[in-house]
Amino acid sequence: MEFVVLVKQVPDTTEVKVDPKTGTLIRDGVPSILNPFDQFALEEALRLREKIKDRIPVNVTVISMGPPQAKTAIMKCLALGADKGILLSDRTFAGADTWATSLTLAEAVKKLGKFDIVFCGQQAIDGDTAQVGPEVAQLLGIPQVTYVDSILGFENNKITVRSLTDDGYRVVEVKLPMLLTCSTPSSFEPSNPSMAAILKANKKPFEIWTAETLGGDKSKFGLSGSPTQVSRVYSPPVRGKGVVYKENIEEGIKKVVEALMDKKVI
Amino acid sequence: MDYTFTEEQEMIRQSVREFAERKIAPIALKMEETKEIPMDIVKGMAELGIIAPTASPDYGGVGFDAVTCTIVAEELARADPTGSIPVFYLIQASWGHVLNKYGTHECKSEVFPRVTKGDWFLGIATTESDAGSDLGSTRTRITPTEKGYVVNGEKMYISGVREAYNRGGGHVTIAKQTPELGTRGMTLFYLPLQVKGITPTYVDDLGREGISTGGFTIDNVEIPKHYLIGEENKGFYIVHEGYEFARGLISVICASAGLKSLENGMNYIKQRKCFGTPIGKFEGIQFKLAEHYTKLSMLKDMAYKAMHTFDLEQKGKAKRFEVSKAIAMAKLFAQEWACAAIDDVMQWQGAFGYTKECPDQCAWRAVRSFGWAEGSKEVMRIIVGRELLGREFIPYR
Repeated sequence: MEFVVLVKQVPDTTEVKVDPKTGTLIRDGVPSILNPFDQFALEEALRLREKIKDRIPVNVTVISMGPPQAKTAIMKCLALGADKGILLSDRTFAGADTWATSLTLAEAVKKLGKFDIVFCGQQAIDGDTAQVGPEVAQLLGIPQVTYVDSILGFENNKITVRSLTDDGYRVVEVKLPMLLTCSTPSSFEPSNPSMAAILKANKKPFEIWTAETLGGDKSKFGLSGSPTQVSRVYSPPVRGKGVVYKENIEEGIKKVVEALMDKKVI
Repeated sequence: MDYTFTEEQEMIRQSVREFAERKIAPIALKMEETKEIPMDIVKGMAELGIIAPTASPDYGGVGFDAVTCTIVAEELARADPTGSIPVFYLIQASWGHVLNKYGTHECKSEVFPRVTKGDWFLGIATTESDAGSDLGSTRTRITPTEKGYVVNGEKMYISGVREAYNRGGGHVTIAKQTPELGTRGMTLFYLPLQVKGITPTYVDDLGREGISTGGFTIDNVEIPKHYLIGEENKGFYIVHEGYEFARGLISVICASAGLKSLENGMNYIKQRKCFGTPIGKFEGIQFKLAEHYTKLSMLKDMAYKAMHTFDLEQKGKAKRFEVSKAIAMAKLFAQEWACAAIDDVMQWQGAFGYTKECPDQCAWRAVRSFGWAEGSKEVMRIIVGRELLGREFIPYR
């Protein structure tokens, strides 16, 4: 069985500042990390592989699109337990919006041949669009479940997952092949690759695929294949006003609880 | 000339940094009260593979070289201002190197799998009440017997005594086998502490409180032949290889602890206002920051260069005394420069800098110990002088 995990290298947004004049991210000197949502997706894939390994052998391939230095994110995935890494890196891919990115990733997944489950993080912490996973599923023509926080069961080419919604969650059973985007639970503690695993990672298969490798019309990749362009980045103005309850503590707590229930937060 | 680390080394740094920031930093100051490194941290370090990483993979280690070990030390020192975990790490990495290189297969098979899993502690016991840097004054004796050896004597100011005595493990130990030959008659061996004839004592240190310091008397302790490390009467030469490994790690630990303290200081002086302006704008503070940062960066570079030279020697590409000099130069100013930087950071923070809540005072107490630990700063000067002027200028001959 073949699992594919789509990952992205992102700037560590805990270290990023916004330029107050242009509203853009100041990325200079900011360390790059594996998108945390993608690490959870990878660890979900590895956990499922471990769970079913006695009855079904699974191969986990990680694919990322990015500049050559994005190899670091893939190497981390290999150290965490993935079997093979593929970096889609070519100047032709540069400047891609979510559509062109999804198309490039989908082409790479197709080129792998067989795939059973495609794992994605729900979104990348730099762009926060949450569009790439669903678009890849659409382009591959396979069912998708988004915001999955746990895999509940796996049998007979079917997977059962718990998917978060605005109101709670739903349990979904899907036939393979399928794509899921993973929503990281707050209790998740990302693993650190061990020293021995890091040393082994370098011996695992790693390939760089270019536009040539993927083939077809190059104009569908990168900036030329992107129907959308970012015209401006800005911090949205704060909407709504805060409310201060000035009653005594007990009354105040009561009102806060009522307000939260009213808004269906609790 | 290439100053970059390998891709693997960068990943190692990242993984250790994430572990240290997430697991060690939040509990570091608590070790001052509990006087021990929590077992879940020890086990976490073991799972990560950073306890005695110099041990060969055949015995449960990862076979790290000196430079890679230095990266790990740098990251641990950033996260733990008490210095306890850096000390716990550096001792086992350094003496793991010696045991791995010179120990017998039987001894390594017995010790390393337990040490690398965090169950046992592997320490170093050379110091005695009257013999520190002057190792030739060692009084402990080792005598060959039919089955192995018998050891008698006493060791003092030894790290990790409680850890090895209570949990298991032992110390790479030196003793005189042929006293009339002086330093040429000293033998190095592994001494387990959970055996009949060992009686521990403990001392309260000013810092590094998560790891014990103490001593032990050795009363007719019998050890098997395979606990011998290297050859009989050649211990004095071998032990310096371990010390040099440890000194290099100490240099980077000092640099890293000092740089982390400067980071704390920078956060403070950018915020704290005096006379209506952030105190970081005052040259009296800013110039000191620049000087300390420059000195500690130099120190860090020297530590890496020294450990790189150490690695070259292991491959036969550098001479023994080139390593001794490079390491001694790297350690010579390490404690003084780091303590001076941390002391100023405490000063910038005023009364808060003197409270137990302030991690910098804790770092100062930890770093202060490195003025003598694994070789005093005075001896570092003697080594550099010896290498520059020649052995005939050694003052104590």
